[in-house]
Amino acid sequence: MKRWIEANTWTLGLAVLLAALLLLTKLIQPDFGASGLDSLARAALPFALATVGMAIVVIAGGIDLSIAAMMAVASVTGAVLMDGASDGQSVVIVIGVLLLGLAMGAINGALIVVSKVPDIVVTLAMLFVWQGVALLILNAPGGGAAAWLRALSAGGVPGIDWLPRAVVFLAIVTAVIWIPIRRSKLGLRLYAIGSDPLAAFRSGVPVGQTRIIAYALCGLFAALGGLSVTMSTGIGEPIPGPYLLASVAAVVLGGVVLGGGRGGLLGPILAVFILRTVRMDLTLLSVDPNVAAIIEGTIMVAVVMFGAVLATRGRKT
Amino acid sequence: MKKLLLGTAMALGLAGMAAAEGYKIGISNTVQGNGWREQMVCAMKAEALASGKVESLNIAHRNTDAAGQLEDIRNLIQAGVNAIVVNPANADGINAAVKEATDAGIVVVAVDQAVTEPSAYILSNNQEEYAYLGAKWLFEQMGGKGAVVYMRGAAGAGADNDRDKGFKRAMAEFPEITVAQEVFTGWQQDQGKQQINDIIAAGVPFQGVWTSGIDNVIVDAFVESGAPLVPIVGADNAGFVGQLSSVEGLQGAAVTNPGSVGGAGVALAIQILDGKAPAEKTVLVNPELWENVTDEGKAKLAAAANPNLSPEWPVSVSIPGWTNYTMDQIIACKGPGE
Repeated sequence: MKRWIEANTWTLGLAVLLAALLLLTKLIQPDFGASGLDSLARAALPFALATVGMAIVVIAGGIDLSIAAMMAVASVTGAVLMDGASDGQSVVIVIGVLLLGLAMGAINGALIVVSKVPDIVVTLAMLFVWQGVALLILNAPGGGAAAWLRALSAGGVPGIDWLPRAVVFLAIVTAVIWIPIRRSKLGLRLYAIGSDPLAAFRSGVPVGQTRIIAYALCGLFAALGGLSVTMSTGIGEPIPGPYLLASVAAVVLGGVVLGGGRGGLLGPILAVFILRTVRMDLTLLSVDPNVAAIIEGTIMVAVVMFGAVLATRGRKT
Repeated sequence: MKKLLLGTAMALGLAGMAAAEGYKIGISNTVQGNGWREQMVCAMKAEALASGKVESLNIAHRNTDAAGQLEDIRNLIQAGVNAIVVNPANADGINAAVKEATDAGIVVVAVDQAVTEPSAYILSNNQEEYAYLGAKWLFEQMGGKGAVVYMRGAAGAGADNDRDKGFKRAMAEFPEITVAQEVFTGWQQDQGKQQINDIIAAGVPFQGVWTSGIDNVIVDAFVESGAPLVPIVGADNAGFVGQLSSVEGLQGAAVTNPGSVGGAGVALAIQILDGKAPAEKTVLVNPELWENVTDEGKAKLAAAANPNLSPEWPVSVSIPGWTNYTMDQIIACKGPGE
């Protein structure tokens, strides 16, 4: 137990911070309740899925700047195909979009591995490619979304009204994809190539292949993120939303080391909820919107710096 | 953390103090740092202040997509506002949150662009009329024949589609007018300038230019390249309005597209809260045309110019019959309690 707490101090700290923020929200707005949690969870969903995707590549020692653009491609593809489709067809479409996400991510990864050009350059270039693809598919917001898909993230769980469906959706999707990987050899390899690719290579880890898989997983979560945007808006938007920088910020705040090799997925997800709650509180307090952006950034820097101080102290003792 | 708590405590105190009677109005806008949108937000603040009926404004103003605007509108619902004035990211994407707001008894007014959710009120500039008015004047100026360069806005944008309808309507009235080139400027200054430079360099013959508001850089391109000036139609952006008076030999007209439609939206929201809802859910504000060919037009241009205005702002800072604030109030850009 003690070891577990020591290993997860950061994540626990984030959970406490989130609880404190929710309490604060309740103080600011005494009416804050189930509907407030629901809107918070719905707003957080696309950010959380993007953050999970980003966290996986960062753990594997990379970064994917094209994540928001891949989300846009998934969103417009889903929305265009689902417009007027039956429920049965839309299930096939959703699976197709997820495969498309895997493929887009795998292309990113393969380009990095084959060309040996730094990931930051390749994914920056792919950002423009995927942006163009999204606009080619749909040049203006439009399309539709199946009703069952939209219902997946709207409202509370029947029987437990305060628990937003969006949270359950996020938990299930992430657990189903990530836990088996984390517990398998592949999970170990992802951390190994992020920690020290040379050592991993000498230990017999297929570095290139593992890297491609990391990017493919990122693409898969980007597709889920794009679908979640379509789920909440009911349409597809070809212009990427503000998910790239937000996901990098949440990954760092969530305790994943940008060099790779260390961190988990729970921390970044908690960080997403923290950032969304801060945004909500700033709106509730009607803080000047220009000042609000400064406050958001300041909190982020302050928390990360606070963590760095804690880490160095921990090392000394 | 301590600072954060302190700040929050202070903010709580302020919120407590302001709890007098009056409406609480929420604002949601998804484009930051654009002159037109900044004017819109300032008009909203000024109108809320001038009305004397608004206790506080809750402004969600950032660069985001429709999903982000859903979040903002839901946060405003949580904040317990009486009305929400929104410039929608697009017509369909925010319907879910708009419906939730109106279901909660909140008045929703969409300004500038429409939303398809029927429970919302819409107050918008008449974009079809905007294009028709300018194009008709331009075609008359060209003597009813010749080729025109058609410089549109952003592909797929609602305002651009509406303007295209108005432009086509004017084209239908002048059968001898043809389109020399049709381009999308994306409402980007640099892109529009590059495009007109290419068109001038290519030597395509044309007798007039219609622009969707990317106007002053087009005049610049003619002046810089030394190409003979043709009649140019633009919007009432301060830069272009200034050129209409200062550039030698330029014939042109500015069509008003006031960002102050935001102030009118706040005025409409207050009217509805006061129990005076309009008969129609959609209210259109008609544009005016100011040209520099007749003395009457020149006088209007001179009256509109104001050196105190930001050059990026449209010069039509108020909408007669809707907005109640003074010029000083909108330039000050202060809302109630600021």
